[in-house]
Amino acid sequence: MCRRTVFLLSLCLCAARLSLRAQEFKLFDRQVQIHGFASQGFVHTDDNNWLTMNTSNVGSGEFTDFGANASMQITDKFRVGAQIYDRNLGQLGRWHPSLDWAFADCRFKPWFGLRGGKVKTAIGLYNDTQDLDFLHPFALLPQGVYPTDLRDSTIAHTGGDVYGSIPLGKKLGTLSYTGYAGQRQDSHYGGYPYLLKGPPALINFSSYGGLQYGGDLRWTTPLKGLLAGISRMNEDIDGYGTTTGFGVLQPYHEWSRADWTNQYYGQYTRDKLQIDSEYRRYWRDQVIYSGAFRAQTDVRGWYVAGAYRIAKRLQLGSYYSRYSLYGPPQNIGGIVSGHTYDKVVTGRVDLNRFMNVKVEGHFMDGYGVPIFYPSGFYLVDNPQGLKPDTNALVVKTGFNF
Amino acid sequence: MGIQMKTATKNPNTLLAFAGLTILLSVHALAGNVRIIANPNVKAEAISASEIRSVFLGERNVLRDGTHVEPVLSRGGAAHAVFLKEYLGQNDDALQNYYRSLVFTGKGSMPKVLHSDEEVVAYVAKTRGAIGYVSSAATLDGVKTLAVYQAGTEGARQLLSRVEPVYPELLQSNHIGGTVRLKVTVAASGKVEGVQLLGGNPILGEAAMAAVGKWVFAAGRSRTEIEVSIPFDPDR
Repeated sequence: MCRRTVFLLSLCLCAARLSLRAQEFKLFDRQVQIHGFASQGFVHTDDNNWLTMNTSNVGSGEFTDFGANASMQITDKFRVGAQIYDRNLGQLGRWHPSLDWAFADCRFKPWFGLRGGKVKTAIGLYNDTQDLDFLHPFALLPQGVYPTDLRDSTIAHTGGDVYGSIPLGKKLGTLSYTGYAGQRQDSHYGGYPYLLKGPPALINFSSYGGLQYGGDLRWTTPLKGLLAGISRMNEDIDGYGTTTGFGVLQPYHEWSRADWTNQYYGQYTRDKLQIDSEYRRYWRDQVIYSGAFRAQTDVRGWYVAGAYRIAKRLQLGSYYSRYSLYGPPQNIGGIVSGHTYDKVVTGRVDLNRFMNVKVEGHFMDGYGVPIFYPSGFYLVDNPQGLKPDTNALVVKTGFNF
Repeated sequence: MGIQMKTATKNPNTLLAFAGLTILLSVHALAGNVRIIANPNVKAEAISASEIRSVFLGERNVLRDGTHVEPVLSRGGAAHAVFLKEYLGQNDDALQNYYRSLVFTGKGSMPKVLHSDEEVVAYVAKTRGAIGYVSSAATLDGVKTLAVYQAGTEGARQLLSRVEPVYPELLQSNHIGGTVRLKVTVAASGKVEGVQLLGGNPILGEAAMAAVGKWVFAAGRSRTEIEVSIPFDPDR
């Protein structure tokens, strides 16, 4: 795996040098743009293994992703494009490439457009750009709101969007909206299947997904640099597979009775300063074990983040992220803490317009509820039990073209 | 946005005294350092500041008159930083991130990026629908300059040429001053079609109307009416 990572990194560095000449060409007299990105990270923790990696010994470099896309403007209003994405994050992703997005987009008016196909889902400030490391000051987005191990559950839907941007006049700013509906289909290599594959559930999903619909409304206020927004997502999810949790192999089915996410967010940018804050509540009421039990999950997360570019190539940032899971029994030492509070400091160096290196420290209190719902820490990766605090060093480099 | 102007009088020594004379005129004075240029096939003669923002943020590629446009960035050109700050309200890093977020979520394309005023002018001149920005000192061969107005506010027109009102000596020596309010009708071409006194000293009003009648504005989408207030301060 290490050799593969080094190879990929070398390939990325070569591609970065060649990319500027390779990103545009003509097809049927239409301009085609090709873009791509890749990142490689290393994580070391002092105690618990984190994000399904073996981080607590010497650390882990199983933290790689890349993507590439092609898009073409066919007419003034009509464009098409597609992107593939692959990642290997510990036990997640496992080098199984996926179609990240692929859609046709028709923008009839600035205030009204339609997209159809597989589309990134607009939730909060960063859901649709959470894989795009180069856009963010931080190596890892606040895990209380954007848990990277649960990326699959919110990242995209196969269906359609209606979207637009409505100017409200100079005194009121601009309102942008997105409404969407479609089908979510999780990878077999996401955090939730990984959690349930381990004891005590021992569930192997053959499919996990369902209807996803909702909307996002964001207001670019007349106060320069200030953005505020709200997102809502409803889901109706079915998971099918098998379980040996009761000692014998039997079919497994779980489904939603209720499943929704609300997110509220604000962002302020001025010159070299950026301040973000978001709150997300995820609620689901499930029927599990083919109707034998009900389970309710109430996850609430929020963060406040700030970043400041102190020099042309250097940006410093910090955030405080809180994740709490309500419902299951709390404070069972080594198994359930019910929360993860994360204090983070980071430094980002931009080597040029296309490459960056980030060094980040995480100081975490708690490890969530790893027998019930993922939050970065898994019992199967920490068979000795979890310790209450985890400090992590994350080093990550990436490029894009 | 208010603009400052100097007011000429018969006595040149009083020029500075009138330097603070303020015309409360809603004009978009941004283009002082930046010119918006377009390929000659672009039908529009003028474009609103909000349209510029929408075009350069990829929210629209067709102007209100139906003309297809394609934005061209001039990174490294003298006008780049001013353009970003005044029209898009963000710096180069933020804009780059914005475009990347569009490109990598499939919601937009990376615009053409050039590196000097000369390159931008040459590209815009040969590319149908191209729209860009250059510094006011750039040589504009083969392109047209678009006047910029502020949408949504009647009368928001860029003032290109102004003639300062003459302060009547008799009134100034007798410390008679005050603010004159005028309604100015500006043709789509930018010429002043009419001036009407709305309030203030009639003699000062006469002086102000005579001057304002000679002003020239940037072309706009249609005839507009502007309210102008001109203060006359005898002590300055």
